[in-house]
Amino acid sequence: MIGFDKWTERLTRRVARGTSRRSTLAWLGATITGAAVFPVLPVARAASGSPHGGGGGHAPVSSGNPQDPGDQASCDYWRYCAIDGFLCSCCGGSVSTCPPGTEMSPITWVGTCTNPADKRAYVISYNDCCGVSSCGQCLCNRNEGDRPQVRPQSNNDYNWCLGTESSIYNCSTAVIIGVASE
Amino acid sequence: MRGVSDPRQARVDYMLKCQGCHRPDGGGDDQSNPPMKHIVAQFLGEPGGREFLVRVPGVSTVDLDNVRLANLVNWTLYTFDAAHMPADFRPYTPEEIGQLRRQPLRLERAEMRARLVAGFTQENAGTHTP
Repeated sequence: MIGFDKWTERLTRRVARGTSRRSTLAWLGATITGAAVFPVLPVARAASGSPHGGGGGHAPVSSGNPQDPGDQASCDYWRYCAIDGFLCSCCGGSVSTCPPGTEMSPITWVGTCTNPADKRAYVISYNDCCGVSSCGQCLCNRNEGDRPQVRPQSNNDYNWCLGTESSIYNCSTAVIIGVASE
Repeated sequence: MRGVSDPRQARVDYMLKCQGCHRPDGGGDDQSNPPMKHIVAQFLGEPGGREFLVRVPGVSTVDLDNVRLANLVNWTLYTFDAAHMPADFRPYTPEEIGQLRRQPLRLERAEMRARLVAGFTQENAGTHTP
Protein backbone atom coordinates (compact mmCIF):
# COMPACT_ATOMS: atom_id res chain seq x y z
CA MET A 1 0.00 0.00 0.00
CA ILE A 2 2.91 2.33 0.87
CA GLY A 3 4.40 1.63 -2.54
CA PHE A 4 1.14 2.64 -4.19
CA ASP A 5 1.04 5.89 -2.17
CA LYS A 6 4.62 6.71 -3.16
CA TRP A 7 3.87 5.96 -6.83
CA THR A 8 0.75 8.17 -6.80
CA GLU A 9 2.67 10.96 -5.10
CA ARG A 10 5.48 10.78 -7.65
CA LEU A 11 3.02 10.82 -10.53
CA THR A 12 1.10 13.79 -9.15
CA ARG A 13 4.27 15.75 -8.48
CA ARG A 14 5.54 15.03 -11.99
CA VAL A 15 2.28 16.21 -13.55
CA ALA A 16 2.30 19.31 -11.34
CA ARG A 17 5.91 20.10 -12.36
CA GLY A 18 5.27 19.49 -16.05
CA THR A 19 1.98 21.35 -16.51
CA SER A 20 0.53 24.67 -15.47
CA ARG A 21 -2.95 25.29 -14.10
CA ARG A 22 -3.56 27.56 -17.07
CA SER A 23 -2.84 24.88 -19.62
CA THR A 24 -5.15 22.51 -17.77
CA LEU A 25 -7.93 25.08 -17.86
CA ALA A 26 -7.31 25.68 -21.57
CA TRP A 27 -7.45 21.95 -22.26
CA LEU A 28 -10.63 21.54 -20.22
CA GLY A 29 -12.25 24.51 -21.97
CA ALA A 30 -11.41 23.16 -25.41
CA THR A 31 -12.84 19.77 -24.47
CA ILE A 32 -16.13 21.27 -23.27
CA THR A 33 -16.47 23.50 -26.36
CA GLY A 34 -15.60 20.59 -28.63
CA ALA A 35 -18.24 18.41 -27.03
CA ALA A 36 -20.83 21.14 -27.54
CA VAL A 37 -19.88 21.75 -31.19
CA PHE A 38 -19.79 18.13 -32.25
CA PRO A 39 -23.59 17.59 -32.61
CA VAL A 40 -23.85 20.78 -34.72
CA LEU A 41 -21.66 19.31 -37.46
CA PRO A 42 -23.50 18.67 -40.77
CA VAL A 43 -23.45 14.95 -40.06
CA ALA A 44 -26.46 15.36 -37.79
CA ARG A 45 -28.45 17.25 -40.42
CA ALA A 46 -27.72 14.74 -43.15
CA ALA A 47 -29.27 12.08 -40.96
CA SER A 48 -32.57 13.96 -40.61
CA GLY A 49 -33.53 13.01 -44.16
CA SER A 50 -34.83 16.25 -45.66
CA PRO A 51 -32.50 17.89 -48.21
CA HIS A 52 -34.27 21.29 -47.98
CA GLY A 53 -34.46 21.54 -44.21
CA GLY A 54 -37.62 21.53 -42.15
CA GLY A 55 -40.57 19.28 -42.62
CA GLY A 56 -39.59 16.92 -39.83
CA GLY A 57 -41.57 16.28 -36.70
CA HIS A 58 -44.99 16.56 -38.29
CA ALA A 59 -47.45 13.79 -39.01
CA PRO A 60 -47.64 13.18 -42.79
CA VAL A 61 -50.58 14.77 -44.61
CA SER A 62 -51.68 12.91 -47.72
CA SER A 63 -54.27 13.93 -50.31
CA GLY A 64 -55.34 10.29 -50.59
CA ASN A 65 -55.36 10.80 -54.36
CA PRO A 66 -52.79 8.76 -56.32
CA GLN A 67 -52.72 11.60 -58.89
CA ASP A 68 -51.49 13.97 -56.17
CA PRO A 69 -48.81 11.93 -54.39
CA GLY A 70 -46.62 12.84 -51.44
CA ASP A 71 -46.67 14.28 -47.96
CA GLN A 72 -48.11 17.79 -47.92
CA ALA A 73 -46.42 18.50 -44.58
CA SER A 74 -42.99 17.78 -46.10
CA CYS A 75 -40.85 20.19 -48.07
CA ASP A 76 -40.30 17.46 -50.69
CA TYR A 77 -43.97 17.51 -51.77
CA TRP A 78 -44.08 18.27 -55.51
CA ARG A 79 -46.17 21.46 -55.35
CA TYR A 80 -43.57 23.16 -53.14
CA CYS A 81 -40.95 23.29 -55.92
CA ALA A 82 -40.70 27.09 -55.90
CA ILE A 83 -41.80 27.90 -52.36
CA ASP A 84 -39.94 29.98 -49.77
CA GLY A 85 -41.65 30.06 -46.40
CA PHE A 86 -43.48 28.11 -43.73
CA LEU A 87 -45.84 25.39 -44.97
CA CYS A 88 -49.46 26.15 -44.03
CA SER A 89 -50.00 22.37 -43.83
CA CYS A 90 -47.90 22.46 -40.63
CA CYS A 91 -49.53 25.63 -39.29
CA GLY A 92 -53.19 24.72 -38.91
CA GLY A 93 -54.11 25.30 -42.55
CA SER A 94 -53.60 23.06 -45.56
CA VAL A 95 -51.81 23.09 -48.90
CA SER A 96 -54.58 25.29 -50.31
CA THR A 97 -56.17 26.97 -47.27
CA CYS A 98 -54.99 29.42 -44.64
CA PRO A 99 -54.92 28.71 -40.89
CA PRO A 100 -57.87 30.15 -38.94
CA GLY A 101 -57.37 33.82 -38.09
CA THR A 102 -55.26 34.60 -41.14
CA GLU A 103 -56.21 36.16 -44.45
CA MET A 104 -55.08 34.85 -47.86
CA SER A 105 -53.22 37.37 -49.97
CA PRO A 106 -54.93 38.03 -53.33
CA ILE A 107 -51.59 39.14 -54.79
CA THR A 108 -49.30 36.18 -55.20
CA TRP A 109 -46.42 34.74 -57.10
CA VAL A 110 -47.05 32.05 -59.63
CA GLY A 111 -44.80 29.29 -60.98
CA THR A 112 -44.94 25.77 -62.39
CA CYS A 113 -44.10 22.41 -60.80
CA THR A 114 -44.04 18.94 -62.36
CA ASN A 115 -46.43 16.41 -60.85
CA PRO A 116 -44.53 13.12 -60.49
CA ALA A 117 -47.76 11.15 -61.04
CA ASP A 118 -48.43 12.31 -64.61
CA LYS A 119 -45.17 14.19 -65.37
CA ARG A 120 -47.15 17.28 -66.43
CA ALA A 121 -46.32 20.85 -65.41
CA TYR A 122 -49.01 22.47 -63.28
CA VAL A 123 -49.37 26.20 -62.66
CA ILE A 124 -49.05 26.78 -58.91
CA SER A 125 -50.03 29.95 -57.07
CA TYR A 126 -48.12 30.49 -53.81
CA ASN A 127 -50.66 32.56 -51.88
CA ASP A 128 -49.34 33.74 -48.54
CA CYS A 129 -51.48 33.76 -45.40
CA CYS A 130 -51.25 37.01 -43.51
CA GLY A 131 -52.30 38.82 -40.35
CA VAL A 132 -50.65 36.67 -37.66
CA SER A 133 -46.93 36.54 -36.91
CA SER A 134 -44.72 33.87 -38.52
CA CYS A 135 -45.88 30.30 -37.99
CA GLY A 136 -42.31 29.04 -37.59
CA GLN A 137 -43.11 25.42 -38.54
CA CYS A 138 -41.78 23.50 -41.55
CA LEU A 139 -39.60 26.17 -43.14
CA CYS A 140 -39.19 25.20 -46.79
CA ASN A 141 -36.98 27.04 -49.28
CA ARG A 142 -36.67 25.41 -52.71
CA ASN A 143 -36.71 28.34 -55.13
CA GLU A 144 -36.94 26.47 -58.47
CA GLY A 145 -37.52 29.14 -61.13
CA ASP A 146 -36.99 31.93 -58.63
CA ARG A 147 -35.69 35.07 -60.38
CA PRO A 148 -33.50 37.83 -58.93
CA GLN A 149 -35.15 40.75 -57.13
CA VAL A 150 -34.94 42.96 -60.22
CA ARG A 151 -37.84 40.82 -61.49
CA PRO A 152 -40.12 41.33 -58.50
CA GLN A 153 -43.05 39.46 -60.00
CA SER A 154 -40.98 36.25 -60.11
CA ASN A 155 -39.06 36.61 -56.87
CA ASN A 156 -40.12 34.87 -53.69
CA ASP A 157 -37.88 36.74 -51.24
CA TYR A 158 -40.36 39.60 -51.11
CA ASN A 159 -43.17 39.67 -48.62
CA TRP A 160 -46.20 38.77 -50.74
CA CYS A 161 -48.70 39.86 -48.08
CA LEU A 162 -50.01 42.54 -50.39
CA GLY A 163 -53.62 43.61 -50.76
CA THR A 164 -54.44 42.17 -47.34
CA GLU A 165 -55.51 44.02 -44.19
CA SER A 166 -52.15 43.28 -42.59
CA SER A 167 -48.77 42.75 -44.21
CA ILE A 168 -47.59 40.38 -41.45
CA TYR A 169 -46.56 37.02 -42.94
CA ASN A 170 -47.72 33.74 -41.39
CA CYS A 171 -47.30 30.87 -43.89
CA SER A 172 -47.54 29.89 -47.58
CA THR A 173 -49.97 27.73 -49.55
CA ALA A 174 -49.48 26.09 -52.97
CA VAL A 175 -52.71 26.15 -54.95
CA ILE A 176 -53.07 24.50 -58.37
CA ILE A 177 -54.62 27.03 -60.76
CA GLY A 178 -54.07 25.34 -64.11
CA VAL A 179 -52.08 22.99 -66.32
CA ALA A 180 -49.21 24.51 -68.31
CA SER A 181 -49.06 23.71 -72.02
CA GLU A 182 -45.49 22.46 -72.19
CA MET B 1 -59.99 37.24 -81.29
CA ARG B 2 -57.83 38.86 -83.95
CA GLY B 3 -54.08 38.58 -83.44
CA VAL B 4 -54.46 35.66 -81.01
CA SER B 5 -53.04 32.55 -82.63
CA ASP B 6 -53.01 30.45 -79.45
CA PRO B 7 -55.54 31.43 -76.76
CA ARG B 8 -54.49 28.52 -74.53
CA GLN B 9 -50.89 29.66 -74.51
CA ALA B 10 -52.07 33.20 -73.79
CA ARG B 11 -54.11 32.04 -70.81
CA VAL B 12 -51.16 30.15 -69.31
CA ASP B 13 -48.83 33.09 -69.98
CA TYR B 14 -51.34 35.39 -68.29
CA MET B 15 -51.43 33.10 -65.25
CA LEU B 16 -47.64 32.89 -65.06
CA LYS B 17 -46.67 36.47 -65.84
CA CYS B 18 -49.61 38.74 -64.96
CA GLN B 19 -52.26 37.26 -62.72
CA GLY B 20 -50.14 37.18 -59.56
CA CYS B 21 -50.56 40.94 -59.32
CA HIS B 22 -53.41 41.82 -61.72
CA ARG B 23 -55.68 39.09 -60.21
CA PRO B 24 -57.34 36.21 -62.08
CA ASP B 25 -60.10 38.47 -63.47
CA GLY B 26 -57.84 41.44 -64.28
CA GLY B 27 -59.60 43.41 -61.55
CA GLY B 28 -56.45 44.75 -59.88
CA ASP B 29 -56.74 47.60 -57.40
CA ASP B 30 -56.01 51.29 -57.44
CA GLN B 31 -53.18 51.14 -54.88
CA SER B 32 -50.74 48.58 -56.25
CA ASN B 33 -51.76 47.09 -59.59
CA PRO B 34 -53.97 49.05 -61.97
CA PRO B 35 -57.23 47.36 -62.97
CA MET B 36 -57.54 46.17 -66.58
CA LYS B 37 -61.06 44.75 -66.43
CA HIS B 38 -63.58 46.97 -68.33
CA ILE B 39 -60.83 49.58 -68.80
CA VAL B 40 -57.82 48.34 -70.72
CA ALA B 41 -59.15 48.61 -74.31
CA GLN B 42 -60.12 52.26 -73.77
CA PHE B 43 -56.44 53.19 -73.89
CA LEU B 44 -56.42 52.23 -77.59
CA GLY B 45 -58.60 55.26 -78.40
CA GLU B 46 -56.26 57.80 -76.79
CA PRO B 47 -53.21 59.33 -78.48
CA GLY B 48 -50.19 57.41 -77.18
CA GLY B 49 -52.45 54.84 -75.49
CA ARG B 50 -51.66 52.01 -77.87
CA GLU B 51 -47.95 52.53 -77.23
CA PHE B 52 -48.48 52.92 -73.47
CA LEU B 53 -50.03 49.46 -73.13
CA VAL B 54 -46.83 47.78 -74.39
CA ARG B 55 -44.32 50.17 -72.80
CA VAL B 56 -45.50 49.67 -69.19
CA PRO B 57 -42.79 47.74 -67.29
CA GLY B 58 -44.85 44.59 -66.68
CA VAL B 59 -45.35 44.14 -70.43
CA SER B 60 -42.12 45.49 -71.92
CA THR B 61 -39.73 43.69 -69.54
CA VAL B 62 -41.53 40.34 -69.26
CA ASP B 63 -39.39 37.33 -70.20
CA LEU B 64 -41.48 36.29 -73.22
CA ASP B 65 -40.46 36.60 -76.87
CA ASN B 66 -42.25 39.08 -79.15
CA VAL B 67 -44.49 36.45 -80.75
CA ARG B 68 -45.81 35.13 -77.44
CA LEU B 69 -46.11 38.65 -76.04
CA ALA B 70 -48.17 39.89 -79.02
CA ASN B 71 -50.42 36.85 -78.61
CA LEU B 72 -50.77 37.63 -74.88
CA VAL B 73 -51.42 41.39 -75.23
CA ASN B 74 -54.11 40.90 -77.92
CA TRP B 75 -55.73 38.14 -75.81
CA THR B 76 -55.70 40.37 -72.71
CA LEU B 77 -57.52 43.17 -74.54
CA TYR B 78 -60.27 40.87 -75.86
CA THR B 79 -60.58 38.92 -72.61
CA PHE B 80 -60.79 41.74 -70.07
CA ASP B 81 -62.41 44.52 -72.07
CA ALA B 82 -64.23 43.15 -75.11
CA ALA B 83 -66.90 45.86 -74.82
CA HIS B 84 -64.45 48.69 -75.53
CA MET B 85 -62.60 47.03 -78.40
CA PRO B 86 -62.59 49.40 -81.38
CA ALA B 87 -64.32 47.94 -84.45
CA ASP B 88 -61.25 48.66 -86.53
CA PHE B 89 -58.77 47.21 -83.99
CA ARG B 90 -55.43 46.51 -85.57
CA PRO B 91 -53.88 43.60 -83.62
CA TYR B 92 -50.39 44.12 -82.23
CA THR B 93 -47.80 42.33 -84.35
CA PRO B 94 -44.60 40.81 -82.94
CA GLU B 95 -42.65 43.47 -84.88
CA GLU B 96 -44.58 46.34 -83.29
CA ILE B 97 -44.19 44.80 -79.84
CA GLY B 98 -40.45 44.40 -80.44
CA GLN B 99 -40.17 48.11 -81.36
CA LEU B 100 -42.24 49.41 -78.45
CA ARG B 101 -40.67 47.33 -75.71
CA ARG B 102 -37.30 48.87 -76.51
CA GLN B 103 -38.54 52.03 -74.75
CA PRO B 104 -39.89 50.72 -71.45
CA LEU B 105 -41.63 53.23 -69.17
CA ARG B 106 -40.31 53.72 -65.67
CA LEU B 107 -41.55 56.06 -62.95
CA GLU B 108 -43.31 58.31 -65.45
CA ARG B 109 -45.84 55.54 -66.06
CA ALA B 110 -48.19 56.63 -63.26
CA GLU B 111 -48.46 60.19 -64.55
CA MET B 112 -48.90 58.99 -68.13
CA ARG B 113 -51.62 56.57 -67.09
CA ALA B 114 -53.46 59.26 -65.14
CA ARG B 115 -53.40 61.54 -68.21
CA LEU B 116 -54.72 58.81 -70.52
CA VAL B 117 -57.43 57.75 -68.05
CA ALA B 118 -58.51 61.38 -67.65
CA GLY B 119 -58.74 61.59 -71.44
CA PHE B 120 -61.16 58.72 -71.93
CA THR B 121 -63.10 59.46 -68.75
CA GLN B 122 -63.81 62.93 -70.11
CA GLU B 123 -64.91 61.53 -73.47
CA ASN B 124 -67.22 59.05 -71.72
CA ALA B 125 -68.75 61.86 -69.67
CA GLY B 126 -69.15 63.90 -72.86
CA THR B 127 -71.15 61.19 -74.63
CA HIS B 128 -73.54 60.84 -71.70
CA THR B 129 -74.42 64.52 -71.26
CA PRO B 130 -76.69 66.01 -73.94
